[in-house]
Amino acid sequence: MSSKSSAKDLVLDPIFNNNPIALQILGICSALAVTTKLSTSLTMSFAVIAVTACSSAAVALIRNKIPSSIRIIVQMTIIASFVILVDQILKAFAFSLSKELSVFVGLIITNCIVMGRAEGFAMKNSVSDSFFDGIGNGLGYSIILMVVGFFRELFGSGTLFGFTVFAKQSAGGWYEPNGLMLLSPSAFFIIGIFIWVLRTWKPEQVEEA
Amino acid sequence: MPLNKDSLPNTFLVATVLCLLCAFVVSAASVTLRPLQLANAQKDRRSNILQVSGFTPEEIEQDGGVKKVFESRFEVRIVDLDTGNDAQAECQAAMDKAKDRVVNLSEEYDQLWASKTNPNKGLSEKLEKKADVCGIKSREKFSEVFIMNSEDGKPELYVFPVRGNGLWSLMQGYLAVKPDFQTVVGLTFYQQAETPGLGGEVQNPDWKALWTDKKIYEDGVVKLAVIKGNKPGNDYGVDALSGATITSNGVTNMIDFWMGDKGFGPYIKQMQNQDSSEAKTSLAGGNNVK
Repeated sequence: MSSKSSAKDLVLDPIFNNNPIALQILGICSALAVTTKLSTSLTMSFAVIAVTACSSAAVALIRNKIPSSIRIIVQMTIIASFVILVDQILKAFAFSLSKELSVFVGLIITNCIVMGRAEGFAMKNSVSDSFFDGIGNGLGYSIILMVVGFFRELFGSGTLFGFTVFAKQSAGGWYEPNGLMLLSPSAFFIIGIFIWVLRTWKPEQVEEA
Repeated sequence: MPLNKDSLPNTFLVATVLCLLCAFVVSAASVTLRPLQLANAQKDRRSNILQVSGFTPEEIEQDGGVKKVFESRFEVRIVDLDTGNDAQAECQAAMDKAKDRVVNLSEEYDQLWASKTNPNKGLSEKLEKKADVCGIKSREKFSEVFIMNSEDGKPELYVFPVRGNGLWSLMQGYLAVKPDFQTVVGLTFYQQAETPGLGGEVQNPDWKALWTDKKIYEDGVVKLAVIKGNKPGNDYGVDALSGATITSNGVTNMIDFWMGDKGFGPYIKQMQNQDSSEAKTSLAGGNNVK
């Protein structure tokens, strides 16, 4: 990617053209864990966008000062600090959501997308470019989370954002929830289908066999 | 002259400055947000106590919020789980000693924390393997009991904090019982991380509603359990959650432990004796007047 790309490209490119989950296959673990409901998917999305954008910007700010021998540790320290910050803020202002997300907010530290962008982009680019790149990649992650969350909540619980869409049999309706949708493997299927659809739409993303 | 960025001194400099800066940001956030977080956690627990006692969210809203309703209707007692006695003072003393300062017990007593302290601090005790049916390893010595009093000061129901291991997580919740210590009013969990949709259904209002009016003891032994293929009309059984055998068993064990001799059994026995002796004295008093 040329270093002269505009902010718009930086933000929009990772959503479909260079999606961190669908193309780079990064950050799968949390995409399985937090997507049983849309509300948790959305919170997690915001948390990841904030962390990727802020940590990329912070890494870019000091990129010329970071000794290469300890650069990964420096990036980790910065990312970890932002993750703790986000976790603390969620606990203080969105208690019930942070309770549902439990350890997964803390696990953003291990999300490969965040480190990948810090090491792969922010170390070589300006602060603002890195910031927008972080937002873009966070959005790319978010769109998958929202799509997976949408299908899992709809077919697993018959609701969207907690509002009933399909009335469940246990509540006197007609819909028999699909238990598999609530378990992690279903996210694999949905991500797989998403990648299939995406690569049919954009055949240039298909890897050569 | 600027330092060479890959030189040893610069490496140390960057590492030190970065660590200090990050440590400052993180601790500042933690310190400033802590009161809010603690208040949130307490509010969450109290709203669970209110819900398990049969208050609907609308009622709580109408009557001025969780804090006001809780404080006006509930009395918090601290009891010694071994003897069943009121142990406000003992618990205060042990906590002050453990924390090395005067502790505000009603705000700061954290039972889970207490259960994990070293037993020689007098706040916890190890459980033998045989007694430890719900897998918690050690138990606090003192527990809170929440008593809802009616307008004329008589206890209407008792809420006991309970916890036990499910499949993935420690499930923490409240069990509300009527003053006969036999009839369940409700069971709720304020903290659990069971599989959403399967074990996580312990939080489903429909399932929780099954607990109301179930009976706990038969001949002094805990009989209430979560049962697969429960027969309708069984006062001692609650339908198991499908696809969540281990979570269901965890709930059974939890009830078994906390209602048993190692849990609130001694307290309950004492309260029942008190009741019956009170009843006798009032009867005797009545005779005297005659």
